[in-house]
Amino acid sequence: MSRMRGPVDAPLNVDESTLVLGIETSCDETAAALVMGGYDVVSSAVSTQVDLHAQFGGVVPEIASRAHLDLLNPMIARAIVEAGVSEERIDAVACTVGPGLIGALLVGVSAAKALALTWGVPFVGVNHMEAHLYAAFLEDPTLEFPMVVMLVSGGHTMLIEMQDHGQYRLLGQTIDDAAGEAFDKVARFLGLGYPGGPAIDREAEFGDPEAINFPRAMLNDGLDFSFSGLKTSVMNYVRKNPEVSASDVSASFQAAVVDVLVTKARRAAEQVGARGLVLGGGVAANSLLRERFLTVSADAGIHGFLPSPAMCTDNAAMIAAAGWHRLRSDGPTALDAGAYPNLRLPLLP
Amino acid sequence: MLILGIETATQQVSVAIGGHEGVLGMFEVSRGRRHAETLAPAIEFLCRQADIEIVEFGAIAVDVGPGLFTGMRVGLAAGKAIAQALRVPMIGISSLDLLAFPLRYSDRTIAAVIDARKGEVFYSFYRPVPGGVQRVTDPRVGSADDLVADLMARGQNVVCVGDGALRYQEEIAAGVRCEFAEQFLSHPSAAPLVQLAHARALREEWVNPWEIQPMYLRAPDAQINWSTREGSK
Ligand SMILES: [Zn+2]
Repeated sequence: MSRMRGPVDAPLNVDESTLVLGIETSCDETAAALVMGGYDVVSSAVSTQVDLHAQFGGVVPEIASRAHLDLLNPMIARAIVEAGVSEERIDAVACTVGPGLIGALLVGVSAAKALALTWGVPFVGVNHMEAHLYAAFLEDPTLEFPMVVMLVSGGHTMLIEMQDHGQYRLLGQTIDDAAGEAFDKVARFLGLGYPGGPAIDREAEFGDPEAINFPRAMLNDGLDFSFSGLKTSVMNYVRKNPEVSASDVSASFQAAVVDVLVTKARRAAEQVGARGLVLGGGVAANSLLRERFLTVSADAGIHGFLPSPAMCTDNAAMIAAAGWHRLRSDGPTALDAGAYPNLRLPLLP
Repeated sequence: MLILGIETATQQVSVAIGGHEGVLGMFEVSRGRRHAETLAPAIEFLCRQADIEIVEFGAIAVDVGPGLFTGMRVGLAAGKAIAQALRVPMIGISSLDLLAFPLRYSDRTIAAVIDARKGEVFYSFYRPVPGGVQRVTDPRVGSADDLVADLMARGQNVVCVGDGALRYQEEIAAGVRCEFAEQFLSHPSAAPLVQLAHARALREEWVNPWEIQPMYLRAPDAQINWSTREGSK
Protein backbone atom coordinates (compact mmCIF):
# COMPACT_ATOMS: atom_id res chain seq x y z
CA MET A 1 0.00 0.00 0.00
CA SER A 2 2.86 2.38 0.68
CA ARG A 3 3.50 2.88 -3.04
CA MET A 4 -0.09 3.97 -3.65
CA ARG A 5 0.73 7.56 -2.98
CA GLY A 6 -0.46 9.50 -5.99
CA PRO A 7 1.97 11.10 -8.44
CA VAL A 8 5.35 9.56 -9.09
CA ASP A 9 8.16 12.03 -8.58
CA ALA A 10 11.24 9.83 -8.55
CA PRO A 11 12.45 8.65 -11.98
CA LEU A 12 11.45 5.08 -12.65
CA ASN A 13 14.08 2.50 -13.42
CA VAL A 14 12.77 0.88 -16.59
CA ASP A 15 14.25 -2.59 -17.01
CA GLU A 16 13.50 -6.26 -17.77
CA SER A 17 11.34 -6.59 -14.69
CA THR A 18 9.19 -3.51 -15.38
CA LEU A 19 5.58 -4.65 -15.73
CA VAL A 20 3.38 -2.48 -17.95
CA LEU A 21 -0.41 -2.67 -18.26
CA GLY A 22 -1.40 -1.83 -21.83
CA ILE A 23 -4.85 -0.54 -22.82
CA GLU A 24 -6.23 -0.28 -26.36
CA THR A 25 -9.59 1.25 -27.37
CA SER A 26 -8.81 3.16 -30.57
CA CYS A 27 -11.19 1.35 -32.92
CA ASP A 28 -13.36 -1.76 -32.49
CA GLU A 29 -11.23 -3.95 -30.21
CA THR A 30 -11.30 -3.44 -26.45
CA ALA A 31 -8.05 -4.83 -25.08
CA ALA A 32 -5.83 -4.98 -22.00
CA ALA A 33 -2.54 -6.81 -21.52
CA LEU A 34 0.41 -7.13 -19.19
CA VAL A 35 3.90 -7.16 -20.69
CA MET A 36 7.12 -7.48 -18.73
CA GLY A 37 10.35 -5.84 -19.77
CA GLY A 38 8.92 -4.69 -23.11
CA TYR A 39 9.03 -8.19 -24.67
CA ASP A 40 7.44 -10.79 -22.44
CA VAL A 41 3.64 -11.05 -22.86
CA VAL A 42 2.34 -12.12 -19.46
CA SER A 43 -1.33 -11.86 -20.44
CA SER A 44 -3.39 -10.42 -23.27
CA ALA A 45 -7.17 -10.02 -23.31
CA VAL A 46 -9.02 -8.81 -26.40
CA SER A 47 -12.73 -8.38 -26.95
CA THR A 48 -13.66 -7.71 -30.54
CA GLN A 49 -16.83 -5.79 -31.30
CA VAL A 50 -16.94 -6.93 -34.92
CA ASP A 51 -20.43 -8.45 -34.51
CA LEU A 52 -21.82 -5.16 -33.20
CA HIS A 53 -20.72 -3.36 -36.36
CA ALA A 54 -21.29 -6.10 -38.95
CA GLN A 55 -24.85 -5.06 -39.82
CA PHE A 56 -23.61 -1.54 -40.64
CA GLY A 57 -20.78 -2.72 -42.90
CA GLY A 58 -18.24 -0.70 -40.95
CA VAL A 59 -17.28 0.58 -37.53
CA VAL A 60 -19.93 2.91 -36.08
CA PRO A 61 -18.06 5.32 -33.75
CA GLU A 62 -20.81 5.80 -31.15
CA ILE A 63 -21.49 2.05 -30.92
CA ALA A 64 -17.75 1.43 -30.52
CA SER A 65 -17.44 4.02 -27.73
CA ARG A 66 -20.40 2.59 -25.82
CA ALA A 67 -19.01 -0.93 -26.10
CA HIS A 68 -15.54 0.16 -24.92
CA LEU A 69 -17.06 1.64 -21.76
CA ASP A 70 -18.84 -1.67 -21.05
CA LEU A 71 -15.96 -3.97 -21.95
CA LEU A 72 -12.84 -2.22 -20.71
CA ASN A 73 -13.13 -3.02 -16.99
CA PRO A 74 -13.71 -6.74 -17.64
CA MET A 75 -10.74 -6.83 -20.05
CA ILE A 76 -8.45 -5.17 -17.49
CA ALA A 77 -9.67 -7.59 -14.81
CA ARG A 78 -9.09 -10.55 -17.12
CA ALA A 79 -5.56 -9.42 -18.04
CA ILE A 80 -4.64 -9.10 -14.36
CA VAL A 81 -6.25 -12.41 -13.35
CA GLU A 82 -4.70 -14.33 -16.25
CA ALA A 83 -1.29 -12.92 -15.42
CA GLY A 84 -1.68 -14.22 -11.89
CA VAL A 85 0.00 -11.13 -10.47
CA SER A 86 -1.13 -8.69 -7.85
CA GLU A 87 -2.13 -5.22 -9.07
CA GLU A 88 0.56 -3.80 -6.82
CA ARG A 89 3.13 -5.39 -9.07
CA ILE A 90 2.12 -3.15 -12.05
CA ASP A 91 4.77 -0.46 -12.68
CA ALA A 92 3.10 1.68 -15.35
CA VAL A 93 -0.10 2.05 -17.39
CA ALA A 94 0.26 2.55 -21.16
CA CYS A 95 -2.64 3.47 -23.40
CA THR A 96 -3.22 4.31 -27.05
CA VAL A 97 -3.72 8.08 -27.35
CA GLY A 98 -4.07 8.06 -31.17
CA PRO A 99 -4.63 7.74 -34.02
CA GLY A 100 -8.19 6.43 -33.85
CA LEU A 101 -11.81 7.35 -33.19
CA ILE A 102 -11.84 10.22 -30.70
CA GLY A 103 -14.74 8.99 -28.55
CA ALA A 104 -13.30 5.47 -28.46
CA LEU A 105 -9.78 6.65 -27.61
CA LEU A 106 -11.08 8.81 -24.75
CA VAL A 107 -12.58 5.84 -22.90
CA GLY A 108 -9.20 4.11 -22.73
CA VAL A 109 -7.19 7.26 -22.02
CA SER A 110 -9.49 8.33 -19.20
CA ALA A 111 -9.47 4.88 -17.59
CA ALA A 112 -5.69 4.51 -18.00
CA LYS A 113 -4.95 7.85 -16.36
CA ALA A 114 -7.36 7.06 -13.52
CA LEU A 115 -5.62 3.72 -12.91
CA ALA A 116 -2.16 5.33 -12.99
CA LEU A 117 -3.34 7.96 -10.53
CA THR A 118 -4.94 5.40 -8.23
CA TRP A 119 -1.96 3.03 -8.21
CA GLY A 120 0.55 5.88 -8.06
CA VAL A 121 2.44 4.72 -11.16
CA PRO A 122 3.37 6.52 -14.41
CA PHE A 123 0.96 6.92 -17.31
CA VAL A 124 2.39 6.51 -20.81
CA GLY A 125 0.56 7.68 -23.93
CA VAL A 126 1.24 5.38 -26.88
CA ASN A 127 1.03 5.96 -30.62
CA HIS A 128 -1.05 3.11 -32.04
CA MET A 129 0.99 2.94 -35.26
CA GLU A 130 4.24 2.71 -33.33
CA ALA A 131 2.72 -0.09 -31.25
CA HIS A 132 1.99 -2.07 -34.43
CA LEU A 133 5.71 -1.81 -35.24
CA TYR A 134 6.53 -3.35 -31.87
CA ALA A 135 4.08 -6.24 -32.19
CA ALA A 136 6.61 -8.41 -34.06
CA PHE A 137 9.24 -8.12 -31.31
CA LEU A 138 6.84 -9.77 -28.90
CA GLU A 139 7.00 -12.99 -30.90
CA ASP A 140 10.46 -12.77 -32.44
CA PRO A 141 12.96 -10.95 -30.20
CA THR A 142 15.78 -11.95 -32.59
CA LEU A 143 14.66 -9.38 -35.19
CA GLU A 144 17.48 -6.99 -36.04
CA PHE A 145 17.62 -3.39 -37.25
CA PRO A 146 17.27 -2.05 -39.82
CA MET A 147 14.01 -3.73 -40.58
CA VAL A 148 11.08 -2.95 -42.86
CA VAL A 149 7.56 -3.24 -41.52
CA MET A 150 4.61 -3.36 -43.87
CA LEU A 151 1.46 -2.24 -42.04
CA VAL A 152 -1.76 -3.15 -43.83
CA SER A 153 -5.11 -2.55 -42.16
CA GLY A 154 -8.50 -0.97 -42.74
CA GLY A 155 -6.98 2.44 -42.05
CA HIS A 156 -3.40 2.12 -43.24
CA THR A 157 -1.14 0.75 -45.91
CA MET A 158 2.44 1.80 -45.24
CA LEU A 159 6.03 0.67 -45.52
CA ILE A 160 8.19 1.81 -42.64
CA GLU A 161 11.89 1.44 -42.12
CA MET A 162 12.69 0.88 -38.44
CA GLN A 163 16.35 1.90 -38.03
CA ASP A 164 16.31 1.57 -34.26
CA HIS A 165 13.86 1.94 -31.36
CA GLY A 166 11.88 5.10 -32.04
CA GLN A 167 13.76 5.79 -35.31
CA TYR A 168 11.37 5.47 -38.23
CA ARG A 169 11.39 6.47 -41.87
CA LEU A 170 8.25 6.33 -44.02
CA LEU A 171 9.19 4.55 -47.26
CA GLY A 172 5.79 4.45 -48.90
CA GLN A 173 2.07 4.59 -48.26
CA THR A 174 -1.26 4.50 -50.03
CA ILE A 175 -2.25 7.58 -51.97
CA ASP A 176 -5.97 6.73 -51.73
CA ASP A 177 -7.75 3.74 -50.11
CA ALA A 178 -6.08 1.53 -47.52
CA ALA A 179 -5.78 -2.12 -48.56
CA GLY A 180 -8.24 -3.22 -45.87
CA GLU A 181 -10.71 -0.58 -47.04
CA ALA A 182 -10.50 -2.01 -50.58
CA PHE A 183 -11.25 -5.48 -49.17
CA ASP A 184 -14.26 -4.11 -47.25
CA LYS A 185 -15.65 -2.19 -50.23
CA VAL A 186 -15.23 -5.05 -52.69
CA ALA A 187 -16.71 -7.55 -50.22
CA ARG A 188 -19.69 -5.30 -49.66
CA PHE A 189 -20.13 -4.86 -53.42
CA LEU A 190 -20.06 -8.64 -53.90
CA GLY A 191 -22.48 -9.10 -51.01
CA LEU A 192 -19.95 -11.14 -49.01
CA GLY A 193 -20.45 -9.26 -45.74
CA TYR A 194 -18.26 -7.52 -43.21
CA PRO A 195 -15.40 -7.52 -42.37
CA GLY A 196 -14.28 -7.84 -45.98
CA GLY A 197 -10.81 -9.32 -45.46
CA PRO A 198 -11.84 -12.72 -44.05
CA ALA A 199 -14.92 -12.80 -46.33
CA ILE A 200 -12.86 -12.38 -49.52
CA ASP A 201 -10.22 -14.77 -48.19
CA ARG A 202 -12.84 -17.50 -47.70
CA GLU A 203 -14.54 -16.89 -51.05
CA ALA A 204 -11.21 -16.79 -52.92
CA GLU A 205 -10.43 -20.35 -51.84
CA PHE A 206 -12.89 -21.64 -54.43
CA GLY A 207 -11.89 -19.24 -57.22
CA ASP A 208 -9.24 -18.92 -59.89
CA PRO A 209 -6.77 -16.12 -59.11
CA GLU A 210 -5.94 -15.85 -62.82
CA ALA A 211 -9.54 -15.74 -64.03
CA ILE A 212 -9.53 -11.96 -64.35
CA ASN A 213 -6.47 -9.82 -64.87
CA PHE A 214 -7.21 -6.86 -62.59
CA PRO A 215 -4.79 -3.92 -62.72
CA ARG A 216 -1.76 -3.82 -60.41
CA ALA A 217 -1.52 -0.06 -59.92
CA MET A 218 1.97 1.42 -59.71
CA LEU A 219 3.51 -2.06 -59.52
CA ASN A 220 6.81 -1.06 -61.08
CA ASP A 221 6.77 2.39 -59.71
CA GLY A 222 8.25 3.34 -56.31
CA LEU A 223 6.93 2.33 -52.90
CA ASP A 224 3.55 4.07 -52.75
CA PHE A 225 0.27 2.21 -53.19
CA SER A 226 -3.07 2.92 -54.86
CA PHE A 227 -6.11 0.67 -54.46
CA SER A 228 -8.97 2.92 -55.49
CA GLY A 229 -8.60 2.14 -59.21
CA LEU A 230 -8.55 -1.60 -58.51
CA LYS A 231 -11.79 -1.36 -56.54
CA THR A 232 -13.41 0.57 -59.40
CA SER A 233 -12.25 -1.91 -62.01
CA VAL A 234 -13.65 -4.81 -59.96
CA MET A 235 -17.02 -3.05 -59.83
CA ASN A 236 -16.95 -2.25 -63.56
CA TYR A 237 -16.03 -5.81 -64.43
CA VAL A 238 -18.85 -7.28 -62.36
CA ARG A 239 -21.39 -4.85 -63.82
CA LYS A 240 -20.32 -5.81 -67.35
CA ASN A 241 -20.16 -9.54 -66.53
CA PRO A 242 -22.97 -10.10 -64.04
CA GLU A 243 -22.74 -13.91 -64.40
CA VAL A 244 -19.12 -14.04 -63.20
CA SER A 245 -18.56 -16.12 -60.07
CA ALA A 246 -17.90 -14.21 -56.85
CA SER A 247 -15.16 -16.73 -56.11
CA ASP A 248 -13.22 -15.88 -59.27
CA VAL A 249 -13.64 -12.16 -58.68
CA SER A 250 -12.50 -12.56 -55.04
CA ALA A 251 -9.51 -14.71 -55.96
CA SER A 252 -8.42 -12.41 -58.79
CA PHE A 253 -8.92 -9.25 -56.73
CA GLN A 254 -7.01 -10.72 -53.79
CA ALA A 255 -4.18 -11.83 -56.10
CA ALA A 256 -3.88 -8.29 -57.48
CA VAL A 257 -3.72 -6.70 -54.01
CA VAL A 258 -1.24 -9.25 -52.70
CA ASP A 259 0.97 -8.96 -55.81
CA VAL A 260 1.34 -5.24 -55.26
CA LEU A 261 1.89 -5.57 -51.50
CA VAL A 262 4.61 -8.21 -51.63
CA THR A 263 6.38 -6.66 -54.64
CA LYS A 264 6.67 -3.33 -52.85
CA ALA A 265 7.60 -4.91 -49.54
CA ARG A 266 10.51 -6.72 -51.19
CA ARG A 267 11.58 -3.61 -53.09
CA ALA A 268 11.54 -1.57 -49.87
CA ALA A 269 13.57 -4.18 -47.98
CA GLU A 270 16.17 -4.37 -50.75
CA GLN A 271 16.37 -0.61 -51.08
CA VAL A 272 17.29 -0.03 -47.44
CA GLY A 273 19.30 -3.24 -47.00
CA ALA A 274 16.91 -4.48 -44.34
CA ARG A 275 17.88 -7.43 -42.14
CA GLY A 276 14.27 -8.19 -41.35
CA LEU A 277 10.94 -7.85 -43.12
CA VAL A 278 7.80 -7.88 -40.98
CA LEU A 279 4.09 -7.83 -41.68
CA GLY A 280 1.53 -6.15 -39.42
CA GLY A 281 -2.05 -4.85 -39.31
CA GLY A 282 -5.40 -6.59 -39.73
CA VAL A 283 -4.89 -7.51 -43.42
CA ALA A 284 -1.81 -9.49 -42.37
CA ALA A 285 -4.25 -12.24 -41.40
CA ASN A 286 -4.98 -12.83 -45.12
CA SER A 287 -3.82 -16.33 -46.02
CA LEU A 288 -2.50 -15.57 -49.51
CA LEU A 289 -0.60 -12.53 -48.25
CA ARG A 290 1.00 -14.61 -45.47
CA GLU A 291 2.09 -17.31 -47.90
CA ARG A 292 3.46 -14.95 -50.55
CA PHE A 293 5.15 -12.76 -47.96
CA LEU A 294 7.29 -15.61 -46.69
CA THR A 295 8.17 -16.76 -50.22
CA VAL A 296 9.23 -13.28 -51.22
CA SER A 297 11.36 -12.77 -48.09
CA ALA A 298 13.06 -16.13 -48.65
CA ASP A 299 13.71 -15.28 -52.33
CA ALA A 300 15.27 -12.00 -51.29
CA GLY A 301 17.36 -13.68 -48.58
CA ILE A 302 15.83 -11.53 -45.85
CA HIS A 303 14.61 -12.72 -42.45
CA GLY A 304 10.85 -12.51 -43.01
CA PHE A 305 8.61 -12.65 -39.97
CA LEU A 306 4.86 -13.10 -39.77
CA PRO A 307 3.43 -12.33 -36.36
CA SER A 308 0.45 -14.48 -35.39
CA PRO A 309 -2.90 -13.09 -36.53
CA ALA A 310 -3.66 -12.15 -32.91
CA MET A 311 -0.55 -9.98 -32.80
CA CYS A 312 -1.22 -8.43 -36.25
CA THR A 313 -4.68 -7.22 -35.34
CA ASP A 314 -5.28 -4.64 -32.62
CA ASN A 315 -4.25 -5.85 -29.18
CA ALA A 316 -2.97 -4.33 -25.97
CA ALA A 317 0.26 -6.33 -25.68
CA MET A 318 1.78 -4.24 -28.44
CA ILE A 319 0.61 -1.09 -26.63
CA ALA A 320 2.30 -2.21 -23.41
CA ALA A 321 5.48 -3.08 -25.36
CA ALA A 322 5.64 0.28 -27.13
CA GLY A 323 4.78 1.94 -23.82
CA TRP A 324 7.75 0.24 -22.12
CA HIS A 325 10.10 1.58 -24.83
CA ARG A 326 8.60 5.08 -24.65
CA LEU A 327 8.76 5.09 -20.86
CA ARG A 328 12.43 4.20 -21.09
CA SER A 329 13.27 6.83 -23.72
CA ASP A 330 10.90 9.70 -22.84
CA GLY A 331 9.60 9.02 -19.32
CA PRO A 332 5.96 9.29 -18.24
CA THR A 333 3.29 11.26 -20.08
CA ALA A 334 1.65 14.11 -18.15
CA LEU A 335 -1.85 13.43 -16.80
CA ASP A 336 -3.22 16.41 -18.73
CA ALA A 337 -2.54 14.69 -22.06
CA GLY A 338 -5.58 14.11 -24.24
CA ALA A 339 -6.44 11.86 -27.17
CA TYR A 340 -5.28 12.68 -30.67
CA PRO A 341 -7.42 11.15 -33.45
CA ASN A 342 -4.98 12.13 -36.22
CA LEU A 343 -1.74 11.39 -34.40
CA ARG A 344 1.12 10.57 -36.78
CA LEU A 345 4.04 8.25 -36.41
CA PRO A 346 7.07 10.28 -35.28
CA LEU A 347 9.34 10.12 -38.33
CA LEU A 348 13.02 10.90 -38.80
CA PRO A 349 13.57 14.18 -40.63
CA MET B 1 -16.81 7.29 4.60
CA LEU B 2 -15.04 9.45 2.03
CA ILE B 3 -16.63 9.63 -1.43
CA LEU B 4 -15.09 10.88 -4.65
CA GLY B 5 -17.65 12.46 -7.00
CA ILE B 6 -17.01 12.82 -10.74
CA GLU B 7 -19.30 14.78 -13.03
CA THR B 8 -18.63 15.33 -16.74
CA ALA B 9 -22.06 15.14 -18.38
CA THR B 10 -22.11 18.69 -19.77
CA GLN B 11 -19.31 21.02 -20.88
CA GLN B 12 -18.31 21.36 -17.23
CA VAL B 13 -15.86 19.10 -15.42
CA SER B 14 -16.68 18.85 -11.73
CA VAL B 15 -14.94 16.82 -9.04
CA ALA B 16 -15.81 16.81 -5.34
CA ILE B 17 -14.89 14.98 -2.18
CA GLY B 18 -17.62 14.28 0.34
CA GLY B 19 -17.80 12.79 3.80
CA HIS B 20 -20.26 12.63 6.66
CA GLU B 21 -19.57 16.35 7.29
CA GLY B 22 -20.76 17.15 3.77
CA VAL B 23 -18.73 18.52 0.86
CA LEU B 24 -15.04 18.72 1.79
CA GLY B 25 -13.66 20.06 -1.47
CA MET B 26 -14.61 20.77 -5.02
CA PHE B 27 -12.99 21.59 -8.36
CA GLU B 28 -15.09 22.91 -11.22
CA VAL B 29 -14.38 24.43 -14.63
CA SER B 30 -16.65 24.87 -17.63
CA ARG B 31 -14.36 26.17 -20.33
CA GLY B 32 -10.84 25.69 -21.65
CA ARG B 33 -9.31 22.27 -21.93
CA ARG B 34 -11.19 19.09 -22.81
CA HIS B 35 -12.71 16.78 -20.18
CA ALA B 36 -10.10 14.04 -20.57
CA GLU B 37 -7.27 16.55 -20.18
CA THR B 38 -8.74 18.19 -17.08
CA LEU B 39 -10.23 15.33 -15.11
CA ALA B 40 -7.23 13.31 -13.85
CA PRO B 41 -5.19 16.42 -12.90
CA ALA B 42 -8.30 17.82 -11.17
CA ILE B 43 -8.69 14.68 -9.04
CA GLU B 44 -4.98 14.72 -8.24
CA PHE B 45 -5.05 18.41 -7.29
CA LEU B 46 -8.16 18.14 -5.16
CA CYS B 47 -6.85 15.13 -3.24
CA ARG B 48 -3.51 16.81 -2.63
CA GLN B 49 -5.09 20.08 -1.43
CA ALA B 50 -7.56 18.21 0.79
CA ASP B 51 -4.74 15.99 2.09
CA ILE B 52 -6.61 12.86 1.11
CA GLU B 53 -5.05 9.83 -0.55
CA ILE B 54 -7.07 8.11 -3.25
CA VAL B 55 -6.93 4.83 -1.32
CA GLU B 56 -9.02 6.47 1.41
CA PHE B 57 -12.16 6.63 -0.76
CA GLY B 58 -14.82 4.13 0.23
CA ALA B 59 -17.05 4.73 -2.80
CA ILE B 60 -16.95 6.49 -6.15
CA ALA B 61 -19.98 8.52 -7.26
CA VAL B 62 -20.57 9.41 -10.90
CA ASP B 63 -23.05 11.39 -12.91
CA VAL B 64 -24.60 8.81 -15.26
CA GLY B 65 -26.30 11.37 -17.49
CA PRO B 66 -28.22 12.11 -19.55
CA GLY B 67 -25.65 14.40 -21.13
CA LEU B 68 -23.11 14.74 -23.90
CA PHE B 69 -21.98 11.20 -24.67
CA THR B 70 -18.26 11.67 -25.18
CA GLY B 71 -17.71 13.84 -22.12
CA MET B 72 -19.97 11.70 -19.96
CA ARG B 73 -17.95 8.59 -20.83
CA VAL B 74 -14.71 10.31 -19.80
CA GLY B 75 -16.03 10.63 -16.24
CA LEU B 76 -17.61 7.18 -16.21
CA ALA B 77 -14.45 5.48 -17.53
CA ALA B 78 -12.33 7.23 -14.89
CA GLY B 79 -14.77 6.52 -12.07
CA LYS B 80 -15.12 2.85 -13.02
CA ALA B 81 -11.33 2.45 -13.27
CA ILE B 82 -10.74 3.99 -9.85
CA ALA B 83 -13.50 1.92 -8.24
CA GLN B 84 -12.18 -1.26 -9.82
CA ALA B 85 -8.60 -0.53 -8.72
CA LEU B 86 -9.70 0.30 -5.16
CA ARG B 87 -12.30 -2.51 -5.05
CA VAL B 88 -14.94 -0.09 -3.80
CA PRO B 89 -18.59 0.26 -4.90
CA MET B 90 -20.05 2.96 -7.12
CA ILE B 91 -23.09 5.17 -6.89
CA GLY B 92 -24.60 6.55 -10.10
CA ILE B 93 -26.86 9.59 -10.02
CA SER B 94 -28.65 11.30 -12.88
CA SER B 95 -27.44 14.67 -14.11
CA LEU B 96 -31.02 15.95 -13.96
CA ASP B 97 -31.31 15.01 -10.27
CA LEU B 98 -28.13 16.99 -9.65
CA LEU B 99 -29.57 20.06 -11.37
CA ALA B 100 -32.83 19.92 -9.44
CA PHE B 101 -31.42 19.20 -5.96
CA PRO B 102 -29.95 22.70 -5.28
CA LEU B 103 -33.45 24.19 -5.92
CA ARG B 104 -35.13 22.03 -3.25
CA TYR B 105 -36.08 25.06 -1.11
CA SER B 106 -38.19 26.46 -3.94
CA ASP B 107 -41.98 26.04 -3.69
CA ARG B 108 -42.38 25.43 -7.40
CA THR B 109 -42.14 22.55 -9.79
CA ILE B 110 -38.57 22.26 -11.04
CA ALA B 111 -37.78 21.58 -14.70
CA ALA B 112 -34.22 20.29 -15.05
CA VAL B 113 -33.13 20.78 -18.67
CA ILE B 114 -29.81 19.75 -20.24
CA ASP B 115 -28.75 20.82 -23.71
CA ALA B 116 -28.63 17.66 -25.83
CA ARG B 117 -27.36 19.52 -28.95
CA LYS B 118 -28.95 18.82 -32.37
CA GLY B 119 -31.86 21.09 -31.36
CA GLU B 120 -32.90 18.84 -28.48
CA VAL B 121 -32.89 18.81 -24.68
CA PHE B 122 -32.89 16.15 -21.99
CA TYR B 123 -35.37 17.00 -19.23
CA SER B 124 -37.51 15.86 -16.36
CA PHE B 125 -39.72 17.49 -13.73
CA TYR B 126 -39.26 17.47 -9.97
CA ARG B 127 -41.18 18.67 -6.95
CA PRO B 128 -39.58 19.81 -3.72
CA VAL B 129 -40.13 17.45 -0.77
CA PRO B 130 -38.74 17.63 2.77
CA GLY B 131 -34.99 17.01 2.54
CA GLY B 132 -34.76 16.95 -1.22
CA VAL B 133 -36.56 16.72 -4.52
CA GLN B 134 -38.73 14.04 -6.01
CA ARG B 135 -38.65 13.23 -9.69
CA VAL B 136 -42.19 13.21 -11.11
CA THR B 137 -41.42 12.35 -14.76
CA ASP B 138 -38.91 10.03 -16.34
CA PRO B 139 -35.97 11.69 -18.07
CA ARG B 140 -36.73 12.17 -21.75
CA VAL B 141 -35.21 13.70 -24.85
CA GLY B 142 -37.16 16.09 -27.05
CA SER B 143 -37.12 19.39 -28.90
CA ALA B 144 -37.47 22.75 -27.15
CA ASP B 145 -41.04 22.76 -28.45
CA ASP B 146 -41.72 19.41 -26.76
CA LEU B 147 -40.42 20.88 -23.52
CA VAL B 148 -42.61 23.98 -23.83
CA ALA B 149 -45.65 21.81 -24.53
CA ASP B 150 -44.89 19.70 -21.45
CA LEU B 151 -44.42 22.86 -19.35
CA MET B 152 -47.77 24.23 -20.54
CA ALA B 153 -49.48 20.93 -19.78
CA ARG B 154 -48.29 21.17 -16.17
CA GLY B 155 -49.93 24.59 -15.86
CA GLN B 156 -48.09 25.37 -12.62
CA ASN B 157 -45.42 27.75 -11.47
CA VAL B 158 -42.19 26.29 -12.73
CA VAL B 159 -38.56 27.12 -12.25
CA CYS B 160 -36.28 25.97 -15.08
CA VAL B 161 -32.65 25.06 -14.44
CA GLY B 162 -29.82 23.81 -16.65
CA ASP B 163 -27.80 24.75 -19.71
CA GLY B 164 -30.68 23.57 -21.90
CA ALA B 165 -33.05 25.97 -20.12
CA LEU B 166 -30.60 28.83 -20.65
CA ARG B 167 -30.05 27.98 -24.31
CA TYR B 168 -33.77 27.91 -25.07
CA GLN B 169 -34.74 30.60 -22.53
CA GLU B 170 -36.43 32.77 -25.19
CA GLU B 171 -38.48 29.92 -26.67
CA ILE B 172 -39.52 28.72 -23.21
CA ALA B 173 -40.40 32.21 -21.93
CA ALA B 174 -42.46 32.88 -25.07
CA GLY B 175 -44.57 29.79 -24.39
CA VAL B 176 -45.02 29.68 -20.61
CA ARG B 177 -44.59 31.84 -17.56
CA CYS B 178 -41.67 30.54 -15.56
CA GLU B 179 -38.53 31.50 -13.74
CA PHE B 180 -34.98 30.60 -14.60
CA ALA B 181 -32.37 29.55 -12.06
CA GLU B 182 -29.00 31.30 -11.78
CA GLN B 183 -26.36 30.67 -14.45
CA PHE B 184 -23.97 29.18 -11.87
CA LEU B 185 -26.50 26.43 -11.19
CA SER B 186 -26.86 25.55 -14.87
CA HIS B 187 -24.41 22.62 -14.91
CA PRO B 188 -24.80 19.53 -12.76
CA SER B 189 -22.22 19.73 -10.01
CA ALA B 190 -20.20 17.13 -8.13
CA ALA B 191 -21.09 18.85 -4.82
CA PRO B 192 -24.72 17.67 -4.75
CA LEU B 193 -23.41 14.42 -6.28
CA VAL B 194 -21.31 13.54 -3.24
CA GLN B 195 -24.03 14.81 -0.91
CA LEU B 196 -26.71 12.59 -2.49
CA ALA B 197 -24.26 9.71 -2.84
CA HIS B 198 -23.37 9.85 0.84
CA ALA B 199 -27.01 9.38 1.81
CA ARG B 200 -27.22 6.37 -0.49
CA ALA B 201 -23.93 4.97 0.79
CA LEU B 202 -25.35 4.95 4.32
CA ARG B 203 -28.14 2.72 3.01
CA GLU B 204 -25.59 0.72 1.00
CA GLU B 205 -27.49 1.56 -2.17
CA TRP B 206 -24.53 1.03 -4.44
CA VAL B 207 -23.39 -1.20 -7.28
CA ASN B 208 -20.23 -2.84 -8.59
CA PRO B 209 -18.21 -0.82 -11.13
CA TRP B 210 -19.27 -3.09 -14.03
CA GLU B 211 -22.96 -2.53 -13.21
CA ILE B 212 -22.90 1.23 -13.69
CA GLN B 213 -24.85 2.12 -16.83
CA PRO B 214 -24.93 5.51 -18.51
CA MET B 215 -28.32 6.97 -19.39
CA TYR B 216 -28.01 7.73 -23.11
CA LEU B 217 -31.73 8.20 -23.96
CA ARG B 218 -30.75 8.24 -27.63
CA ALA B 219 -29.84 5.34 -29.89
CA PRO B 220 -26.43 5.68 -31.57
CA ASP B 221 -26.66 7.66 -34.82
CA ALA B 222 -26.03 4.78 -37.22
CA GLN B 223 -28.68 2.68 -35.54
CA ILE B 224 -31.29 5.38 -36.07
CA ASN B 225 -30.46 5.59 -39.77
CA TRP B 226 -30.60 1.83 -40.09
CA SER B 227 -34.08 1.50 -38.60
CA THR B 228 -35.29 4.36 -40.81
CA ARG B 229 -33.93 2.54 -43.83
CA GLU B 230 -35.46 -0.75 -42.80
CA GLY B 231 -38.78 0.93 -42.08
CA SER B 232 -38.93 2.63 -45.47
CA LYS B 233 -38.74 -0.62 -47.42
ZN1 LIG C 1 -4.37 -1.03 -35.55
